[in-house]
Amino acid sequence: MKLPLALLLAPLLTLVAGLHTSNWAVLVGTSRFWFNYRHLANVLSMYRTVKRLGIPDSQIILMLPDDMACNPRNAFPGTVYSNSDRAVDLYGDNIEVDYRGYEVTVENFIRLLTDRVGEEMPRSKRLLTDDRSNIFVYMTGHGGNEFLKFQDAEEIGAPDLADAFEQMWEKKRYHEILFMIDTCQANTMYSKLYSPNIIATGSSELDQSSYSHHADNDVGVAVIDRYTYYNLEFLESEVRDTSSKKTIGDLFDSYSYEKIHSHAGVRYDLFKGGADAARSRLLTDFFGNVQNVEIDGTRNTTMIDDELISLSKTIARLSELAREEELAAAKNNSDAKPVPRKVQVTKPLSDDNWFTKKLVGATALAGCVALWGLGSYLEI
Amino acid sequence: MSADIKNDGDPKPSSAEATVSLPATGIAIVERKEPPPEKESDTRRRSWIVLSFWLIAVFIGLPIWWNTTTIYRANLPLTQMTDWADGKACEPVFPLRIALDVGSLPEQEAQNLLRLTQHALDDLNDFSGHHLRLQLAQAPTEATTQVRDDSNVALTIRLAPGDAAHTASSSLHPHLPILDVQYPPNSLPTANSPSSGLATYIATQLGSTFAEEQNIISYLLETSSITPEHRPKGISQEVVDTVSKRMTRSLKYSQTYHLTFSLFTNGPVPSSWDIEAAIDEYMKPVLDMLKTIHDFTIDTQVQLYASPGVQSHVLGKEDLSSFINAAEWPLSPSIGGAPTVNFIVYIGNQTIGVPSETDAAETSQSWMIPQWGSVYLLAPPPAEAAHVSSETLKQPILTFTSHLLTLLGTPQSGSVPLRLSTLARIRSADLLLRASSSLGSLARLTLALPSISIPSNVANGVVKTIHHLELACASLGGAKSLEHARIAEHEAERAFFEKSMVGQLYFPDEHKIAVYLPLLGPIGVPLVMGLLNEIKAWKTRRSQKLKAA
Repeated sequence: MKLPLALLLAPLLTLVAGLHTSNWAVLVGTSRFWFNYRHLANVLSMYRTVKRLGIPDSQIILMLPDDMACNPRNAFPGTVYSNSDRAVDLYGDNIEVDYRGYEVTVENFIRLLTDRVGEEMPRSKRLLTDDRSNIFVYMTGHGGNEFLKFQDAEEIGAPDLADAFEQMWEKKRYHEILFMIDTCQANTMYSKLYSPNIIATGSSELDQSSYSHHADNDVGVAVIDRYTYYNLEFLESEVRDTSSKKTIGDLFDSYSYEKIHSHAGVRYDLFKGGADAARSRLLTDFFGNVQNVEIDGTRNTTMIDDELISLSKTIARLSELAREEELAAAKNNSDAKPVPRKVQVTKPLSDDNWFTKKLVGATALAGCVALWGLGSYLEI
Repeated sequence: MSADIKNDGDPKPSSAEATVSLPATGIAIVERKEPPPEKESDTRRRSWIVLSFWLIAVFIGLPIWWNTTTIYRANLPLTQMTDWADGKACEPVFPLRIALDVGSLPEQEAQNLLRLTQHALDDLNDFSGHHLRLQLAQAPTEATTQVRDDSNVALTIRLAPGDAAHTASSSLHPHLPILDVQYPPNSLPTANSPSSGLATYIATQLGSTFAEEQNIISYLLETSSITPEHRPKGISQEVVDTVSKRMTRSLKYSQTYHLTFSLFTNGPVPSSWDIEAAIDEYMKPVLDMLKTIHDFTIDTQVQLYASPGVQSHVLGKEDLSSFINAAEWPLSPSIGGAPTVNFIVYIGNQTIGVPSETDAAETSQSWMIPQWGSVYLLAPPPAEAAHVSSETLKQPILTFTSHLLTLLGTPQSGSVPLRLSTLARIRSADLLLRASSSLGSLARLTLALPSISIPSNVANGVVKTIHHLELACASLGGAKSLEHARIAEHEAERAFFEKSMVGQLYFPDEHKIAVYLPLLGPIGVPLVMGLLNEIKAWKTRRSQKLKAA
């Protein structure tokens, strides 16, 4: 009994085993105002990188709380640069911002992660992941011990973030997550996480600041943070396309205090298989969109397909016939017993105590009239 | 200097001043004037005032504060929910009825054959979740002409006596769920024989017919969170791997799918295609056939000068996964609420250069992307024709059709009607397990996050889910189970993703103090001080009373 099955499934065995089938990226900047130019540039640089490596816009959730390109203080209107050489315009002509301005709130962020959104939310603004999706979560802004500030108005706490990830895990909304955060005391943000299969990294330890890399004198403000800068440098130089074999471990090893000016942290303990398994994951597992495509065999399958078409035509016709027959049968039945046509009129639900009810009503009415009469009589 | 005798000030500092000034001035002690003693009624009134403030604070203020700040948590049937998630509430058993149409055989012999075949089947099958139960076809004469698929019979075996010289042979009817078995007349079991070659043969045939379905269902049970004792045993690792690969690439169940057909060309031509006719001709029949399980909506688009993500002429396997130019091709998923399946025809000069095992000269033209769709590379039409005819599209659309079936998770073996009914059963098992696991997630979440609010419609959803799960479980393998499982899954998802079950759940203690301090300071201090004063006064009164006594 097993044998024919094994034969049957044999062609499938040659396919590459797929661990995950889709890649998603959630890129969140959390600060407003011109002097936070660099945070927006951080996010847009990451956006450009994941897009370069093939994640489609529909699978990137980009949250930008402010529009630096259109800021009146921008000397280069319509552009955002993350380097003072101004070689790459991050704003370009093809960016899709999913949440912008005051839509970037803690609530919307948690709603996005847990997918607790209303019916009206378009699919492009939702994180439609499943248990086969790898998610890259990148956050940047101003933060502190176990919190990250959103727009000067509110903050997300590390426990909130951990609970959101836990809810995602409970509902099988991810396969693996790479969580990256660039903010002051960033490592405290992932300290509370407790859900499995998360690799976390941050720019700085508790009581350490995260610094900007350099400023552009013409733009007038710092344009990128150090941690993000060196991440991008690695990704640009080592991961040129999706065929790159560089691993997460290679990226993490490239961090150093000399470059970043703070102690970048990593957390492997949540990951199944621990540090070794986490470090051996390819960078393109998170930053790229690797699809395990299945190439059709070269055999000529037309014959089979033709057969299938004619078959399905027959089957569709048969089921249509069956349906018609049923309809006809139903019709016959209804013909056999003609239902007398009734005109619907409003009527009381029950006819019990009709007389008593009328009597009570009349008595009440008469009582009221008597009271009114008595009142007017006494008033005189 | 005389002592301050003003009444409005606190007497203590002034009396201290009086004592301090005493040695300096040398004036004889002036009798310090005390305020008139408080009236008994005033003291009593003050006590009442303090008491009433406390009563208001405790009996009105506290309950209001408590009521307005507690989080509403509807009662969920937690044990029931975890039972479902653990598979205790429903043992997923698929009783498949197989009708045995014996044709002209006498009743006695038919019964005998039935009994023996059932024995043979039970011996073969070690998986309790998937029963094959034989029965005699109700009206043999009618069943041969037409078999209604609305009955719960999964397959009909049509026995016909064949050539005596040959051994038994069988074939699946292409249009109907019928297994035709030809048997040599002498192989019929006698009344008392313990086994029969024909019975064993039929059992083996049935086993292999349903093997794939059995494997998939075992795999589903295996990967669900159902406790081990209900799990089937004995599926080999190899089978698990293949089935898991298949489940991985198939799309998540949805009642409606949106099919998007896109024509991308690398130049200005061709700019139109006869897609509507091609779909009608080559895909519509299959879609019609699938209508009982899924609905489909279709749209098409054409884009000229579309450059793929990879420019090289010969595409290796690595290139194929980055061929789709996700950044520039308008493959938006946001059409309607249904998940989109993409079918792309690309007209350009590129070919796939993956060496195949069978024939190195011939190369394939299409590939499938799991859970996403598929791509077909079409050679540019001769003479710069601007129109792609429906004949040219025949091969692509047929390929897409078979890809669609794979993406939907249709089993690959057996005749078409059997594959369809198997698909329905697999999907209902899948939905049932998924709804159960959603219930379990919700139950665990409720316990894990004590500060999350649970509105009453979540409880309603849970009750509805459980109701439909029960119905689906009772009718597993039947026609209604898919419908019930679908509703159950929908309700479970709705309950889990309830919109109002969100918000910042965690407030640090500093925040709470910051919120309550401005409120409690001005109210709390007078309240507490008043109470302390009253207690002090009461103590003094008591000690005086004791002294007096």
